[in-house]
Amino acid sequence: MNTPALSAFYDLPVEPEVLLVDDDEVNLLLTGIALRERGFKLVEAPGGERALALLRENAPDVIVLDAMMPGLDGFETCRAIRQLPGYENVPVLMLTGLDDDASITRAYQAGATDFFVKSTQWSLLAGRLHYLLRASRTRLELERSKSKLARAQDLARMGSFDWRRGERGERAGLLLSSESLRVFGFGPNERIGLRSLLRMVPQDERRSLLRQLHDALRHSSVLATDAPIVLLDGRQRIIHIEAEPDFNEHGQSAGYTGIVQDVTDRRQAEDKIRHLANFDALTGLPNRRQLIWRAERALEHARRLQHQFALLLIDLDRFKVINDTLGHGAGDELLVEVGRRLRACVRHSDQILEGAIEAAGARSHRALEAVGRLGGDEFVALLPEVGEDADAERVSQRILDALREPIFVGGQECFVTASIGVAMYPRDGASVVDLLRNSDVAMYSVKSQGKNSSAIYSPQLAGRGREKLELETALHKAIERNELVLHYQPKIDVRGSKMVGAEALMRWKRGDKLVPPGEFIPLAEDTGLIVPLSEWALREAARQARQWQQAFAFDDSIAVNLPSRLFERSDLVEHIHQCVTAVNVPHRVIQLEITEDNLMKELQNVIPSLHRLNEIGVEIAIDDFGTGYSSLAYLTTLPISELKIDRSFVRELGITPQSSAVVTAIIALARSLGLRVVAEGVETLRQMEVLHRLGCGVMQGFLFSRAVTAEELQRWLEQTVLPKKAPWIAAVANEPLVGGTAASAGVRRLR
Amino acid sequence: MNPPAPPPPPAVPPVVLDAVALGRLRELDPDGRHGVLPRVLTAFEVSLERMLGQLAAELDGGRAEAVGAIAHTLKSSAASVGALRLAQTCEQVERAARSSGGTAQRHDVERLIAEGRAALAAVQAMLRP
Repeated sequence: MNTPALSAFYDLPVEPEVLLVDDDEVNLLLTGIALRERGFKLVEAPGGERALALLRENAPDVIVLDAMMPGLDGFETCRAIRQLPGYENVPVLMLTGLDDDASITRAYQAGATDFFVKSTQWSLLAGRLHYLLRASRTRLELERSKSKLARAQDLARMGSFDWRRGERGERAGLLLSSESLRVFGFGPNERIGLRSLLRMVPQDERRSLLRQLHDALRHSSVLATDAPIVLLDGRQRIIHIEAEPDFNEHGQSAGYTGIVQDVTDRRQAEDKIRHLANFDALTGLPNRRQLIWRAERALEHARRLQHQFALLLIDLDRFKVINDTLGHGAGDELLVEVGRRLRACVRHSDQILEGAIEAAGARSHRALEAVGRLGGDEFVALLPEVGEDADAERVSQRILDALREPIFVGGQECFVTASIGVAMYPRDGASVVDLLRNSDVAMYSVKSQGKNSSAIYSPQLAGRGREKLELETALHKAIERNELVLHYQPKIDVRGSKMVGAEALMRWKRGDKLVPPGEFIPLAEDTGLIVPLSEWALREAARQARQWQQAFAFDDSIAVNLPSRLFERSDLVEHIHQCVTAVNVPHRVIQLEITEDNLMKELQNVIPSLHRLNEIGVEIAIDDFGTGYSSLAYLTTLPISELKIDRSFVRELGITPQSSAVVTAIIALARSLGLRVVAEGVETLRQMEVLHRLGCGVMQGFLFSRAVTAEELQRWLEQTVLPKKAPWIAAVANEPLVGGTAASAGVRRLR
Repeated sequence: MNPPAPPPPPAVPPVVLDAVALGRLRELDPDGRHGVLPRVLTAFEVSLERMLGQLAAELDGGRAEAVGAIAHTLKSSAASVGALRLAQTCEQVERAARSSGGTAQRHDVERLIAEGRAALAAVQAMLRP
């Protein structure tokens, strides 16, 4: 009745199967009946031979064997069972007589699990069988978990070991599990001593490992360390060792038990992660984080050892241009090459330094020396110990020299220069943040003075920097505050004594001061503010043209100076279109001036815009012509309308013969290409006369008018030009003009 | 399987099967549904008859080992069906056979056969009253 409960208690199969072997039919019958009654499933065999045959067909959970049987007796049968594959651990209960000590011993020797004295007390037999089944189950689970552990250790490349000191008759030495043998590259049955294992550790590391082992032993402390080893096949691995001491009953250390684990992959992953966190992926140089870390360590050392250290901020000049024109891929290539060259300029150390530096001795800060990439095109060179400014300057010069060679990227040679700002600890800053900021100030001072050089920080620079910052902030607000105005300088047709157009020039009314364009246009170009400024100028020029049209039937064009980057914008044409249609004037009232330098530098990017502008009637003039390097081949095909002779040639006219030769050449070139020609910077009657004589009839300059407000220009026209009251009008009137044909005014277009 | 010239058996009193042992057998099948008691008695009858035959063959110069083995097997089944005197005799004969080695004592074999026959008669009486 209690059978199900018992079975559940032991967590056994619901109906355990018993193979009962007995030559006595009565016993077989009785035992069978009794056990069935108690929830077992029975298979009966009258002898050993039959039992073995049955086992080949069906595996019982437990076997009950009568010891004394004719033929194959219980002992021999048991022995034979143990030989059958899969029956090594099946529980076998041997039935013996009450007074039969010899049989009991023989039973165990034959491999029986237990013995039981034959009796008619069936519940005792059933209880014993349950016990055997449970023990067998436990043993099976143990085996399974042991093999699971072995498998897990195998997967984790881990194994256990045991090391004995060898006291009190214990066997001394190291015992490695087969899993740990595998970790060290040995087969499961090899015997390997501690000495042989230590020999696998490279000499240098072996010494420090031995020291750690001795320390642990002396203090009976926990051992946890990593050691590099070289396997017999030459592979290098990193082994993690972790062990705890064992103590005997007297509290003395008796040995160690622990694990060894191959952590090579983990270590490599950790190294990789550490590398990613500390190094710039593009150039492989230390990144901002690592640089700042190194700088802070260098600063601590410098403070402690009372020496100076230098921080060099290296910013590439015009990197953006390269990136924009050749593409980011080429930009990246360039940064890699620059990184490579910079590295060669210092005693660059690639070591990852975190925490380890303190242990490495007094001069360890030398290992901090490095070049790193702060981000974008900004690099930093860290010189952990310098004697004087000249040391840092020498490195700066080395860097500038290293960049002098052209860099081949994106299929072409690029010339890269850099601006370098230097800050020295402790003079130029007491913290890394201060040093970085001040090296930045110094670097910007180089940029503003023409780039490609280096400068050491000084407080005056900081002052200038602050001024510049204020200016930049103010300029941002200049448009919305209506502080910008356009002034106009007329273009004069000397022969006709009339205005044939005007050039618009931007002015900034900052409070009661008028800021000259030279002071804010470069800043606007650096910061990108030039774009909104230029767009405003176009709008304003169109509005002015409309106003003059109404005031005095102005029918010429106003020239607006644009930087090349505006020509690169795809919305320029659309913007101009909006400006002119908003005030209902034709497109041709806007003329655009681009400097020769700007045009040639960005030629490929600018050409499409030039064509579209030309199509809608906006003419293009080339400013400062003659000073840059124009490709004459391009000039013949570009959709331009006007060349403006640079004021430097005009100034020398009548003084050096060369200048008149240049002017003559430009005029001849313009004429043959069908372009108008305008002379700028005309200040004297003599210059005017020479130009006129050489064939240039349209001029600009102080001789006629400086750049003035729109109202002043209108007044000047009304009060000076129309009444023909100016000295230059009289001069033209009196001068018998050489070659004075209509062509000299250059207004007729050949194309 | 009656031997041709059976010797005069030692005089043994008739056997009554032990009530306690029989009670234990009845417990295995309280309402008699499975016919446990007749099945066990029949099995005992069959094996006892066979063993009596085997013992008769060992009367003259019998092998102690064979006699001992028969006594051993018979011992526990006799006890099971409540033939307590037979079981006791089996035990004595088995021990004697083990210690003598070689040949079995004719006297022992005769005793075993006499007790066996008495037990057989009792079992047959129970099976076929």
